[in-house]
Parts: sequence; C-alpha cells; structure tokens
Amino acid sequence: MTAEFTPTTQSELARFVAENAVGDKRTLSPVGGRTALHYGFKADEAQTVIAMSGLGRVVDYPARDMTITVEAGMRMDELQATLASERQRLPIDIAQAGRATLGGALATNTSGPRRFGHGTFRDFVIGISAVDAHGRAFKAGGRVVKNVAGYDICKLLVGSRGTLAIITQVTLKLRPLAETSALLWSSFASLADIDRALERLLISDARPVAVEVLNPAAASLIAASSRCELTVTAPVLCLGVEGSKREVDWQVETLRREVAPFGVTSSNVVSDPEAAAMWQALTEFQTCADDPLTFQANVRPSQCVAFLERATKLNVAVQAHVANGIVIGQLPESAATVDETTTILNELRQAARSSNGNLHVLHCDPEWQPLLPMCGAPEPTWPLMRQLKQKLDPHGLLNPGLFVDGVESR
Amino acid sequence: MTAVLKEVPRTPMAATSSNDTPARVSSLLNRLREVVGDEGLLCKPEQLLVYECDGYVVEKKCPDVVVFPTSTEQVVAIVKLCHEFDVPFVPRGAGTSLAGGCLPIGGGVMIALTRMKQIIEVNYRDRYAIVEPGLVNVHLTNHLKGSGYHYAPDPSSQGACTIGGNFATNSGGPHTLKYGVTVNHVLGAEVVMPDGSIAQLGGVTEDSPGYDLTGLFVGNEGTLGIATKVIVRLTRDPAAYRTMLGIFETVSDATKAISEIIGAGIVPAALEMMDQGIVSAVEQAFHFGFPLDAGAVLLIEVDGLEVAVDEEAQRISALCTQSGAREVRQANTQKERLLLWKCRKQAFGAIGRLSPSYCTQDGVVPRTKLPEILEFIIACGQRHGLRIVNVFHAGDGNIHPILLFDERDTEQVKRVLEASDEILGKCIELGGSVTGEHGIGVEKISFMDKLFAAEDLAVMGTIRDCFNPTGRCSPGKMLPTSAGCGNEAMPRIKPGRRAAM
Repeated sequence: MTAEFTPTTQSELARFVAENAVGDKRTLSPVGGRTALHYGFKADEAQTVIAMSGLGRVVDYPARDMTITVEAGMRMDELQATLASERQRLPIDIAQAGRATLGGALATNTSGPRRFGHGTFRDFVIGISAVDAHGRAFKAGGRVVKNVAGYDICKLLVGSRGTLAIITQVTLKLRPLAETSALLWSSFASLADIDRALERLLISDARPVAVEVLNPAAASLIAASSRCELTVTAPVLCLGVEGSKREVDWQVETLRREVAPFGVTSSNVVSDPEAAAMWQALTEFQTCADDPLTFQANVRPSQCVAFLERATKLNVAVQAHVANGIVIGQLPESAATVDETTTILNELRQAARSSNGNLHVLHCDPEWQPLLPMCGAPEPTWPLMRQLKQKLDPHGLLNPGLFVDGVESR
Repeated sequence: MTAVLKEVPRTPMAATSSNDTPARVSSLLNRLREVVGDEGLLCKPEQLLVYECDGYVVEKKCPDVVVFPTSTEQVVAIVKLCHEFDVPFVPRGAGTSLAGGCLPIGGGVMIALTRMKQIIEVNYRDRYAIVEPGLVNVHLTNHLKGSGYHYAPDPSSQGACTIGGNFATNSGGPHTLKYGVTVNHVLGAEVVMPDGSIAQLGGVTEDSPGYDLTGLFVGNEGTLGIATKVIVRLTRDPAAYRTMLGIFETVSDATKAISEIIGAGIVPAALEMMDQGIVSAVEQAFHFGFPLDAGAVLLIEVDGLEVAVDEEAQRISALCTQSGAREVRQANTQKERLLLWKCRKQAFGAIGRLSPSYCTQDGVVPRTKLPEILEFIIACGQRHGLRIVNVFHAGDGNIHPILLFDERDTEQVKRVLEASDEILGKCIELGGSVTGEHGIGVEKISFMDKLFAAEDLAVMGTIRDCFNPTGRCSPGKMLPTSAGCGNEAMPRIKPGRRAAM
C-alpha cells in the first residue's frame, strides 16, 4: 500500500509535504539510492516513499571557491565525476557510489577509511536546505566556507536518517584531488604486534590519511575484492597516504621503516592505479550484502585491537579505521540464527561499551531487525533527542520509529 | 515571551517580576552565596562594572550579580535558583566576544566560568583532551607543547579567550583555512541545560548513536545551555612550515593572488591579508621591517611534510609574482615566523596608533569575490568620508574591515554605522554571511532576517524553544524574537571600539 512520490523540484516537494501535514498525515520516508533501507529500528512501513532521484542537479559550482551546491538526490559517483573535472573532490569514501545519493549518504553519515585524514560529512557540509514535516522549506548555513550565523542545523541533519527533515540541497566545502596515493599493506604475526606499531605511529614522521587494521578474515575478503596479490593469512596493518608522487614515496618508505621493528612478516606497497581498487575494497567492506549481518562498533582507538582480538575469536571478519576507533564487522555465515547472532553481538557490544563506546547494526536480514541493537544502546541523551524530534515533527510523519524515537516502544 | 527581556533596574536585584522585594533579592543573593561562597560572588555596583560589556562595547548592561562556580554541580544549583527566582542568566568566559555574546540583557545572574579551568585529562593515544570551559585557549596549547599534538583552533584572542567561549561561538582563527573551526575539533561536551539538568553530548568515541547534538550546540551562543566540560580533538603537529610574506603594490593585486592560490587548488595552512594602513600601525608597534609603501601584504603559511613544503611554497610564490607581487619573502627562522604571527594576531592592538576609536566587521564572501568586496569597502569609505583599513582571513573569504573614527564626533559615528551596514549588506548580496567567527550576539541580530527567510528562523526558533523554553538562558541573543523585543531594548547608538581580535 506504499505510495511513491518523486518530486522534480524542491518547491514541489515542500508543497506535497505541507499538504500532507494538514491533510492525510501519511507517514513519509525519503529515499535516495535505497542502499540503506533497513538501517535503523524496525518500524512500520512508511505510507509514502519520497524518491529523491528526481532532484539531482548541480545548482552552483564555483570551482575557484572550492565549494559546490547540489540537490540531494545526486548520485555520489556523478558528484565525484563533476568534481574531478575540476581536479577537486569530496574526500569522503562512500560505498556503492553508483547507487548512493549525497542526501542518503549524509543522512546516514557514511564514511570510510580516509576519515582519519579528512574527516566526515560534518566537516564538509557548509549549507543545507531541507523540508520539515510541516512542509516548511528551510535552510541553514550558507555558501561560504566560514559562517557562524544561526544554529548549525547542517550538523543536526548529518546522520539524522530522514527523521527530522527531508534534505533537498547541500553545499559542500571541497578539497583538491590528490595527485596520487599508495597503501602499505603489512602483515604481522599477531594483532598485539600491530598494537605496538600503532603506538609508534602516534609520532610518525609521515601523515597517513588512513590507518586500517584487518583480521585475517577481513584481509582475505578485501584482498580478493581488490584483486591484489597480498598476504592474507595474518593480521594486517594497512596505511594509506596521499599527495604528490614525492610525498607518497617518501611516506611509504618512512612508514615501512617505522613499523618494521614491530614484527612485520611481509609487506607490499599498492600504488596507483591498483591503489584505487584497494581504496574501493576498503570502502565497500561495510556493504557485503551476502553476509548475514554487518555492524559498526565505535570504541576508543586504544581499545580497538583488544576488540578485534575478541571479534576474531568469534569468527567475525573485522576491519578497523583504527585511529578513529571505528570497527566494521561481518558476522560469519555460521551465525545463521538470530540466537547465535545475538550471542555474538551481545558480547561485542559489551566490549564496546566497556570502552565508552557502542555498537550498532548496519545491515541485517529485515526479519531480525526487531531483535537486534539496530541503533546501538540507548544513550542518556536520547530523551533530549526525542524531545527535539517531537518539536520538529509533532505528528511523527518522518520515518517514525526508525531512530531515537523507536526505542520507547521497545 | 516572558518578562525576562525587559529592561530592569540595575539595582537592587533583577526585578523581573513585579512582586520582587528587597527581601526576595537578598534571599537570592544568600542562596547563591550558599552555593559559591562569599569569594565566588560579586554584587556591588563598582564590582559589576567590569561585566557590563565584553569586546563589543556599544551596548552595556550590568548583571545584577556575577557568580564564579567551580564545579558543574554549582552551575546546576545556580541555574535552578535562577528558575526559582525567575531571573535570566548568561554564561561568560573571558568576555572577548566582539558581538555582545556575554551581554546580560535584562540583567540577572552572570555565570562566569573562569574558575573552572582545569585540564581534566589528556589522552594522546585516543587523541582527545577533556577540559573545563574556563581554560584559556593558549594554556591548552602550552600544555600540549612538545607532545607532537596540538589543539588546532587558534583565535587571535587565544591568549585570553576560553575554550568554553570558543565552544559557544564556534571560534575560528588564522589556521582554520586548513584545519577547520572549533566544531571540527569538538568530540563532545558536558552541558548544563537551560532547565538545570546535565547532558553528556557526544563522547570520547566518534559516531555516538543519535543526532549530532554536539555539532548543534557548538556555536549556540549560550542559548542552549552552559558547557561545563569540553572534549576536544588533538591534532598531529605539522612536520614542517614555510611562512611567507608577499608584498604587493595594491590591494587589488593581493586579492588577485589570493584568488589564484585558492583557484589553483592549494590549501595553505593560513592566508592572511593586511593592507597599508594596518601594516604601518603594526610596523610602528613591532618593528618587523614591513615595507611602508606597499599597498598590501599577504601572510601565507604552508605546512606539511618537509619533502613537500618547499615545492608548495614555490608554487605560491610564483602565483604571487604572476599577480604582480613586488617581492615574496620567507621567514628564515622560527623567531621570525613567530614575530610575523605576533604582528598579525596583535594587529588590532596596534590600531590605537591610527585613531581614537575603531569598529570592525566580520563579513564573509565567496573567496573569488574578495576583489569585489574590497573595492566596495574602499568606495564605501570614500563615500562616507571614513578611513577603513583591512586585516583579515583572506583564504576563507572572511573580511575584517576596520572603520576608524572619533567617537566624540556624533555625525562621524552615524556614518560609521551606515558604512558598516552597507558592507555587511554587500556581503550578503555577494552570497556571503555577516559573521564568519564572531557570532551574531546582539550586534548583528538585525541582520538575521536579511540572511535567513522566516521559515529558516522559525526552525531555529523551534530548536531554541525545545531546549530553552523559558528563554531565561541567554535571552536576546542570536535569534530575533517574533515580538521584536530582543534588540529594541538596546538601541544601537555607537559603533564598537574593539579591544582585540
């Protein structure tokens, strides 16, 4: 019974939502590339899907200002291609870029390995337009890179999963394309050895943009997907660098020298053009749809390796953006029942929470959704967030029950 | 709205309700004393005078009492008392706001956080520090020195301003061009909410589940609560710097160079411009050796790996020369570099040499519009018969035109206000903003409805009312009230004389 509405202009969308707010009050679910439809608590299916694919235009691209304003339905690969034509980029790694839209990626606060060097959406969104549940088309921020006028609603909408407003247009701060990049893939005898190398890297002379740790299960999946010939039977520390050829070469050598004393058993350098495939494999790991479940744990960087050791014992394939304390895990196919899955997740969630962190599910069988920690454990600030959701969307029309407001009924 | 926005008598105690009596006033003072002790409270008129304004001296209003809590629990108790007695309250750090962010509109209780200045924890492995809000920005910098890590936001007032104030205003600084502003370096905060409850926003791990309230609260200008702890991100020190001084015959050549540098896809760590007027004042003050006949100078810093900085510096140098630079000098020693930065950061202090009073603005334009806005500023100065000098964060397009005047000349003062408004209006017209880093405060509240549509302001109002429903927390800041009573109690009669930038 789900209807679908595909607006072709922002004002058409605002009118539709405004009429709905005073009329039928149908529940609405904005969708972009539909890559994250089961992300969040299990909620009743929305009565109307708002397909943002019709809003994919470049509004303004003053390349010499290094900013761009685009409609939110633009696909990520199109956005990156547009930027690349001016030798610029949005340096956020987005999985399934051929489907994912900017608005969707932003609403789910997607990121990848290079978040260590460049940051996440909150560091790049300088202006936003959206339609709230009343149908009010509003904006915040602006088109300049520095601006403190008014509340920073851009930050509020990043990661808000379509529950506060429908994002229609975004202005981004941009960065120059890196001339080249490379990854240093080093195998270690144990995760504990990697931990000691990480301690050393805190004062590295190089400035890697990605610091990835993979257990053997994840290493073998990522190596296979990148089609690179690499050692995958041992834990891996994979360091990514970017810059001019000279900077990249110098950094790779420096990093190789710095980590060598900590028990490296083999090491390879993946340079361009193969590096592109490796970056992509590291980015796409979080979306392997064949596996029963993918989760993200957020822990303190210093606790990452201990978390990885624990996950490895449970046969989970784990990738860590280790300097950010972000762990992506794929459950083994042996975790075939919801009970087995829950047992594994509970143990890991406990581990994450003991490190001031948390764990949430990125992707799973929709039937499991009601039973799993889809949005992580409720935080003490969730009541404040529900209060805000209630103020901005008093009738609960935008993705109700999917996020922080989904916990009350649980 | 409640009565809190009304002008109230300075003494006795904030009489916002008609039934206020001396007994009630002394009761509040006694109750506050129970919380902070005798040494933590000021209420004599001569003591309060210091707190009648911040760096924005145009509008003045004494609080009825200033309290100096030393713990979160004390802040909570103070806020709860404010509700019990129905008086407004406003947090204050070092009072360096240039927009009246600390002005106690309606009097009431000023909560000065300067005694909460501990560095609670520094964790290099997890790259964060937890600090109290009254910690002076540069004290954190000094504490971290030698560790290989630093706290990146470096407002020019960093020798005085506090981390809590930086949090409230989302402060910038010269190095924000490459490293971002305060919000990009805050992981979380403990906040005493306007109702006196305590909220832990964000945390030491990234990506907490839920909305990014940390991001929303940075830059709230005290309207959503009072930060009592701030968790900041630590950033790895750059391996190498090259600091250069580009010398140009004209402002227009200098702005062209800025545009060329950014357009070439180079992101320097900092890119600052000073025009001839500022250079001459700075030179008299610090004797750096600036050429006094140059129309403008650019202070450019690149940082990164030792193997990369020379090449980048050369590219920038070549772009400057192509744009008509007379000369590009490089700081040869760390001492020279620090002196250059001292000249820049303390430039505002040198302005006293140029005129008895001055007023600065904080507009932002897209970087390619810099030549246009600077031409406008020059023409605007000529049209109004005013001298305007410029020192600003060029790489971000964040201008700080400084209008020089004598405040004893009321007619001149009027022209300064007109010229300021015209410049900010032009910034909006060019697609920019009226504040890049100083905040709206009370100063620029009248521009909010020029910058934003009614719907935008309504949504912002909903957010404020959600967390601050009584309006007692920092009344009259940032958002114009629908009744228009936020600012009208404070008619703007004089432009500001700014103490620091």
